[in-house]
Amino acid sequence: MAGAGGGGVRDMDALEGVRSIVLKPSESLDEGRFTRIAGADFNDAGLGLPGLLASLATTGFQASNLGDAVDVVNQMLDWRLSHEKPREDCDEAELDPTYRESVKCKIFLGFTSNLVSSGIRDVVRFLVQHHMVDVIVTTAGGIEEDLIKCLAPTYRGEFSLPGTLLRSKGLNRIGNLLVPNDNYCKFENWIMPLFDQMLQEQSTENVWTPSKVIACLGKEINDESSYLYWAYKNNIPVYCPALTDGSLGDMLFCHAVRNPGLIIDIVQDIRLMNGEAIHATPRKTGIIVLGGGLPKHHICNANMFRNGADYAVYINTAQEFDGSDSGAQPDEAVSWGKIKGSAKPVKVHCDATIAFPLIVAATFARKFHGAKQAN
Amino acid sequence: MSDSEEHHFESKADAGASKTYPQQAGTIRKNGYIVIKNRPCKVVEVSTSKTGKHGHAKCHFVAIDIFTAKKLEDIVPSSHNCDVPHVNRTEYQLIDISEDGFVSLLTENGNTKDDLRLPTDDNLLSQIKDGFGEGKDLVVTVMSAMGEEQICALKDIGPK
Repeated sequence: MAGAGGGGVRDMDALEGVRSIVLKPSESLDEGRFTRIAGADFNDAGLGLPGLLASLATTGFQASNLGDAVDVVNQMLDWRLSHEKPREDCDEAELDPTYRESVKCKIFLGFTSNLVSSGIRDVVRFLVQHHMVDVIVTTAGGIEEDLIKCLAPTYRGEFSLPGTLLRSKGLNRIGNLLVPNDNYCKFENWIMPLFDQMLQEQSTENVWTPSKVIACLGKEINDESSYLYWAYKNNIPVYCPALTDGSLGDMLFCHAVRNPGLIIDIVQDIRLMNGEAIHATPRKTGIIVLGGGLPKHHICNANMFRNGADYAVYINTAQEFDGSDSGAQPDEAVSWGKIKGSAKPVKVHCDATIAFPLIVAATFARKFHGAKQAN
Repeated sequence: MSDSEEHHFESKADAGASKTYPQQAGTIRKNGYIVIKNRPCKVVEVSTSKTGKHGHAKCHFVAIDIFTAKKLEDIVPSSHNCDVPHVNRTEYQLIDISEDGFVSLLTENGNTKDDLRLPTDDNLLSQIKDGFGEGKDLVVTVMSAMGEEQICALKDIGPK
């Protein structure tokens, strides 16, 4: 009996020890500094899209990152030179309050080709149509898929459709999207005469560059559903240093065999691209990148030439454990001088086809339509 | 003695008529003929890629200019027509070689043809000169296409 009693006492002692570890007394959290977690309240009949968007920041995990991204984009849109103290070395004209109020943040938008294959193309078109971004960088597919959609539609399929079956039917799969071979035949029929024309217009003084080719194609497609048409119309440069990496490259290859001589100079474009960042001053620069790879690096690298961007939002699903630039966190870009140490960059780990429309709704679109309603 | 299938004689004037005829790209095979960059060529390589991201199905031809032996290539949608050259071969007996590099040939109808140069191919050239120098009876094959002519082969018909 005495032994049993002793064991009981020792058990209680051990339990008390565990409790003190597992349930360590906490400090009180100051609600001024720590946001309380709360999701969307659907009991509120008037919640609507604005209420849903507002709830993201307090929901947690990537919803909170998405909320932070909304804040950063709104900072890009709200910034004016008049918010800053004048630089000591600035000239007289730069001191004019009206001028300072008119100077806005320069926004670089980058996206990979899959997003143009998807309906994000239409979100991009909205931004370009109303000149809400200043520089665009994309991949070859980001160019050709926009143009091809003016000639023939892309359809929804399924991720699981078998490749051999699709090949036998002349259908190409992009995730759960389907693009018929005939779309590319129409693209070929449309673009080959344009390459002939470009070759004819080419001279020593007038060498083509990817951005010039893209502007020419945007002009020729002449279709208001195309973001490249609006980029041409609004004089927004579209850079694509890897113009050969897609159907465009296939077409250029065939054209070069039949009718050699077309030159597309990427060196002129890197001067312009990096110049976009270098000569942005006194404007601040903001980065918005959907996806990773070339568009992400090309934009960040340009901003390195001005000692970093002031604002940055990344949206992609890549992870950093393989050392890829696509997966790299924004802080890695800080180490390279591509984003300023003083910036508060955000990465949203989410499929851009989900995240970007929500961000645009809470930022660009709200300002655009809000301004209209005010009028 | 001549076993040539082709005896048709074309004058310069005739050669301009109907130099080529159209043929669908997808039906042109290796060892066939094709016009590339306005040159009559023999196809040495042909590969086909199906319709896809590059657009229409395409035939990729590698061919040799039949006169200059220069290599040319072309990519043509397989449903499009290509120009195909008419290529003729005619045999003539060699009569004389002039000092300035032209040959005199005896035609089927007994006239002479004097407008042809010696071939540029070294091997063929030396065979012709040596054979003629030795007094041999020589018959040359002349290939003609798209208004051009060239000696392309030689036969020693020898004494009976």
